[in-house]
Amino acid sequence: MMMNPDAVEENQEEGNILVWLTGLAFLAAMIAIFIYVPTERTEGVIQRIMYFHVPSAWLSFFAFFVVFICSILFLWKKEREWDIYAQASAEIGVIFCSLVLVTGPIWARPIWGAWWVWDARLTSTLILWIIYVAYLMLRTQCDAGSMRARYAAVLGIVGFLNIPFIHFSVLWWRTFHPQPKVITNEGIGKGMDPTMLATLGVSLCAFTLLYFLLMGVRVRQENLKDEIDRLKKEKLYSS
Amino acid sequence: MDNLGFLFAANVVVWGGIIYYVYTIRQRNRALEKDLELLKETLNRKG
Repeated sequence: MMMNPDAVEENQEEGNILVWLTGLAFLAAMIAIFIYVPTERTEGVIQRIMYFHVPSAWLSFFAFFVVFICSILFLWKKEREWDIYAQASAEIGVIFCSLVLVTGPIWARPIWGAWWVWDARLTSTLILWIIYVAYLMLRTQCDAGSMRARYAAVLGIVGFLNIPFIHFSVLWWRTFHPQPKVITNEGIGKGMDPTMLATLGVSLCAFTLLYFLLMGVRVRQENLKDEIDRLKKEKLYSS
Repeated sequence: MDNLGFLFAANVVVWGGIIYYVYTIRQRNRALEKDLELLKETLNRKG
């Protein structure tokens, strides 16, 4: 892919706007989490971890959903662009899934009295993390080429099938992990205090903006890497 | 119930994780820039 200087400049401007938007969203989220939202009655101040834990989980699931869609599109259209999107999204998904797996136990320790329990929600989330770590390892261990991209796409699709299982695990089995509070049978946000819901909403927006910001940077980086590789090959064949 | 230490730890983990990831992206960018400069120099030398 050749890079047009005008397009690069336009991309940079869009990137700058996104950086500012993300920064402002995080500032608003921090104010909401530590000043605006009241302390929860039963769990106390520790419950504020929810405003990092839930958005991290949302971001990682969304990132793996993008991997799923892009992997299907790659297998269908065989275009490198989709493979790049899938790779970038998987990387971001793994980072935020790791944050879920660390912030969860920090929240659980004072509430459940244990860092970790092998219940359905926690175990299936750990399995999801392992699948996508394997996805990234596969990409670094195999030689570059369409076969690597194809194997990775298959793993990216199979891995995503775990996510509905994670979501419904707290409804199908009796787990330590609490049941969904945002999306319930009564409707969206009916099971939560409006200020808590608003704070969670702001935090979710900030994390989602961060996802798009990181995706933009990683995709541009991979495109540049491809361009350098292409030029190196050209130079090699011409000499 | 005072669990400020746990809340602080969770915050450090989240921000630390995000900052570390951004740092690795920056490092990769630097490596790519270096690669690009090297390539430009080689191509210029070849004329």
